[in-house]
Amino acid sequence: MEKHHNSVTRTPLNSVVVQRRSKSKSYRLSYRSCLGAASRLGLTPALTARRLNTSRRAPKPHNITEKVDAEQLTLLVKTEWQLSYVTPLYQFRHTQLKSYSRQLSAFIAAEKQQGMAVEVEGPQKTFRVSFSLVQGLTESDDDAETVLVQIYSKPLFARQDEPQKPVWSGWLTCINGNPEYLGSLPKDFICLPLFGSSGAEGLTTLVKSWFQQSFDCCFGPLEISHTSLQWLMALWTNCHNEYSIQHLKMIWTLPAVPPLQVTYTVNSEDAWELWGSVRKGNRGGGGGGGGGEEAEEESSIDIEEVRRFMQGLQSHFYRHFRLDLSAGSLNQVSTALGSAKYSGRIKISNSRYMITTLTLLTECALLKMPI
Amino acid sequence: MDESTKRLLQRLMRRIPTQMLRTTLDKWGRLTGEQLQSMDFTQSKWALTEKLLAICEENELAVKHITELEMISHIVSSMFDYRFLDDAHSVELTQFKEQFKSHLRELIRHVSVKIKKHTDEAVWIRIAWGDTFSRPNHMKPTYVVHSLQTPYVFVTSLTSKQKPLLSQALVLSARYQAIKDANLSGRKLTAIRDLLMRQYHQVFPTRYPTPLAENNQTVSNQHIEREQAVPAANRLQAAYEAFGGGMLPQLQSAVYKLETKFRDHSNKTMTEREEPFRCVVKFASTNLLESLRHCASSGIASTPVTPLLSSIPLKGKNYFVITDNGPGPSSQMRQPQN
Repeated sequence: MEKHHNSVTRTPLNSVVVQRRSKSKSYRLSYRSCLGAASRLGLTPALTARRLNTSRRAPKPHNITEKVDAEQLTLLVKTEWQLSYVTPLYQFRHTQLKSYSRQLSAFIAAEKQQGMAVEVEGPQKTFRVSFSLVQGLTESDDDAETVLVQIYSKPLFARQDEPQKPVWSGWLTCINGNPEYLGSLPKDFICLPLFGSSGAEGLTTLVKSWFQQSFDCCFGPLEISHTSLQWLMALWTNCHNEYSIQHLKMIWTLPAVPPLQVTYTVNSEDAWELWGSVRKGNRGGGGGGGGGEEAEEESSIDIEEVRRFMQGLQSHFYRHFRLDLSAGSLNQVSTALGSAKYSGRIKISNSRYMITTLTLLTECALLKMPI
Repeated sequence: MDESTKRLLQRLMRRIPTQMLRTTLDKWGRLTGEQLQSMDFTQSKWALTEKLLAICEENELAVKHITELEMISHIVSSMFDYRFLDDAHSVELTQFKEQFKSHLRELIRHVSVKIKKHTDEAVWIRIAWGDTFSRPNHMKPTYVVHSLQTPYVFVTSLTSKQKPLLSQALVLSARYQAIKDANLSGRKLTAIRDLLMRQYHQVFPTRYPTPLAENNQTVSNQHIEREQAVPAANRLQAAYEAFGGGMLPQLQSAVYKLETKFRDHSNKTMTEREEPFRCVVKFASTNLLESLRHCASSGIASTPVTPLLSSIPLKGKNYFVITDNGPGPSSQMRQPQN
């Protein structure tokens, strides 16, 4: 745990250094790829002391299947979520979840019936809301427990006894959030900066309004920046020797007229070897070479390694097509472990590496928040 | 008319654009003058379909007449694959028609074949496949387009079981030696045909290049204009030479399967590796060749354009396997002789 925290204090100066790259014939970099993460995240002056971590712990498989309820885990894993950030919630109590369920349910009913005559009777509500705790996800004591919200509804022409089905799900979480920041919050505030939702847009808006009204917070869209996508690529590829990623797929969009989409899929073994070759001291990675496995030391991944990985992939592409991928934008990254889109959609396909992905996303959410 | 025929007609009516409806029905010739007059083309498609169904019932039209309508309207929604006929002999149309039908019928009992020659010298063949026990399925026909004097054949919607049957029938009736798959496919028949026949506007390298006229001049900085004039002109020329001028055939995608070694002087470990770095790259766009040409002229792609990309129009292919020994010919590929 300590190593992770130390990296935070080291961050301030390094990450925004623009590297001078020699004008080698084989590669021409566009301005954008030289800039650090900060420029993408639109930080306000108050947060300039904090940057996206330049160094991370290598993802270890977390056997959270033992700790987390199976049903909740299945839901988290099989769905594609749309991400938003949330500012800290005022006087949100994990003990009041039942009451929140009722309140949100009433809120949605009221909103839906605006302008229509309200039925006084109506024992059968057409839908029901449930708030539940997802225990076992968080590792540190600073993180608040994850909250899962589900809205169940009966299909339109259902019989009386047919069970309600979940039509909307959402969750609020904070995984390995920056302890400095968490510690600096006033007492009544709970920080659950990462919000994921899946289901009808209308319901998402209603849920957000209710939260905003009840806890005086703000929601905002969370894009997964270019740097974060690169991190995910590297973190997922790093897991290959323990769990096959099957392929590494990137989808770029180039600003041609009409727009050109490039899908670049790399064989998993080859991606793994390339990743190994860019790691400092050449740890990890397949192939022959000197004796046996290295000791299982605490390995941390540096942003430089991530950049070199991406550069390798881009230069291989350039060598063949003489097309500069950095002139376009990276829209999507996917492997067997999950897929992430620039628009803020994430799918985590395997629970073993969920914690690492959520940690990265929590960090993004914390950085994007305007306060 | 039975249910399936009705459904076929309904589906066809949905696909024919309204403005083409009158001319298509006219060409079809199965409606009498009064019947055609009685159809009010300002009504909704749905109403028109009902009216047409009624008229067809009246005229006691059958499936084969409906399929005629489908062929006339040229509505094909699937992808065309280009196949190449080896060692073409010139063959006469009626002979081809007779032979093709009889060969195919010999091979498979329940099959419905319609052959029609269109104005542009192409023969359209519509095949509805059945098997020993069921009647031909008209909802999933295969279309074959073939110009008799050329070795080109375009085929849509063919399953792997049907492929050898069709190939054999074609080869025998057109008196060819063999039929091969070429690596080109696309949604628009005209586009891939143009690509192959090089019917788009070609631009040849000139000794003293002058800047080509661009359609949309974007307003920009005077200084940049002046500085960039020559490099921009060169890029434009190179782009046009590689891909062609004017309107380009509309191709949707190109796939490259790369199996070359990783070579990067900044990465020693990977460069020393023996095995190839395997990856698959797919380019997609509403008009792929336009996009690539624009990449070249705007500098996203470095000029001169790499032969990998310029092979698309040059060789008329959009699926490539690239190994270190040069673009690997897949075992079935053969270049059309120019």
